[in-house]
Amino acid sequence: MSEARFEDVMRELRAAAPTAPDALRERVRALPQPGARRQLRLRPMLAAAAVIALGIGIGAAAIGGFRDQASGPRSASSGASAARERVLTKKTPQGAFLPRRSFQGLQGNPAQRDFGALSKAAPDALAPGGRLQRYETTMQLRVKDLSEATKSAIRTTRALDGYVASADYGTAGSTGDSTLDLRIPIQRVQQAIASFSELGTILSQHISVADLQAQVDTVDRRLAAARATIARLEAKPSLTPVEQIRLAEAKRTARSLRRSRSGLVQQGTYASVSLLLTTRKAAAEPASPGRFDRFWDNASDILGKELIAVLYALIVIGPFALLAAAALLAERARRRRADHRLLEEAG
Amino acid sequence: MPTSWPIGKRSLREGRSFAGVAEEHLDDVYRYLIYVTGNPQLAEELAAETFERALRRWRRFDPRRASARTWLCQLARTTALDHFRSERRRRRREEAFALETAEAAEAAFGEGLAPELDAALRGLSAAEREVVALRVVLELDGETTARVLGIRPTAVSTRLSRALQKLEERMVSDVRS
Repeated sequence: MSEARFEDVMRELRAAAPTAPDALRERVRALPQPGARRQLRLRPMLAAAAVIALGIGIGAAAIGGFRDQASGPRSASSGASAARERVLTKKTPQGAFLPRRSFQGLQGNPAQRDFGALSKAAPDALAPGGRLQRYETTMQLRVKDLSEATKSAIRTTRALDGYVASADYGTAGSTGDSTLDLRIPIQRVQQAIASFSELGTILSQHISVADLQAQVDTVDRRLAAARATIARLEAKPSLTPVEQIRLAEAKRTARSLRRSRSGLVQQGTYASVSLLLTTRKAAAEPASPGRFDRFWDNASDILGKELIAVLYALIVIGPFALLAAAALLAERARRRRADHRLLEEAG
Repeated sequence: MPTSWPIGKRSLREGRSFAGVAEEHLDDVYRYLIYVTGNPQLAEELAAETFERALRRWRRFDPRRASARTWLCQLARTTALDHFRSERRRRRREEAFALETAEAAEAAFGEGLAPELDAALRGLSAAEREVVALRVVLELDGETTARVLGIRPTAVSTRLSRALQKLEERMVSDVRS
């Protein structure tokens, strides 16, 4: 259609455009006015819901931050702090915990001590009322002169009738470490620890005390029973084959029990002292986090978990939401095509 | 149309009463429905139904999204489509083609319209007539027409072009005959 013809047609159509008949006009005028009614709109509701959800998330993070802050500072996770947790005393020259009951009465050169004789004389060797205990302690000290400190520790040990079970000494440049595994007579362990404390700065200390008396008592009872059996059988003028076997068995049992008793007595005779000497400087302790830092750490943890939860929900729900949106769009397109076909068919 | 935040759609809508909007756009809705249906009586009926729907949905009307005329044309289209769907179902049931019932050869599309133009318009489909009604008679722009029809503006131009071409062809063939 030419431009001019199109203009003519347009003018004609517009000029001839019908107006609504009076009956229709009256009918529309007769419609009542719409009443006041609150309407809920999706977008403002969604925006409000998003704001509320965000506020709840931030509020929960803040509350979590304050609540965890009130429970106290976290303990540092560094090695030095972990070691410090094991410390029973602060660094003092004489701050070691000592066994409440020391084993008294053992004398002599440990290298020559006959533990078997000791075990036989066990009831006399033990102080009246004393219990046999295993005493173990570990001390870590920072020293200025590793060589001198190591030698001093060994001298002290020997002076107290103790001995060095093992020694490991190593230096690298200006730093070094020395590990001494010492055995000190238990009644002198206090002196030893006091002396070792003066070698340098105590970095850590750990003490362990275990009661051995109950085990010794059990061994004694069984030993006494075995001896009684031996005595009874040896008193007989003649033994049957079965009795001979029983006698041999009782003697073997007695020997084994004596060995066990010797071992227990030995454990209770000497205290085990592990001395770790080092010249290394301690790592700088991390500053204890302040209140705000703790609050922020806790709150950010919670926020992080919330974000992870939202992300998880998006990942899980996302594909379904996309499918639903695609289905909706497809349905709208289908509806549009169907409406157009309908209008095409209508004349 | 103001879009600043403090002026909400409620205040925009309440600045204009439903009665005022209905009075202002009654002719436009009627004209549109005449072109879609090709039947003045049917157009009158559907126009009344359109305004009844508009009354029920008045609170949901957002003037910031579309003008009242656009909104009413959309409602009129929906009303017409609902009518055509129900007619199609009825035809399938009764195997009768009600719209083929010959009406008196009155000028459906307006008094004073040339007979060949009126006949040519009758020869168009409802889909073709509606785009002519919206773009030419109601003088809606391409964007607004696209919104009413639920299609892209380029599709509106294509449909209008085809409709006018068909109109011309019918007019030419009518003149020759």
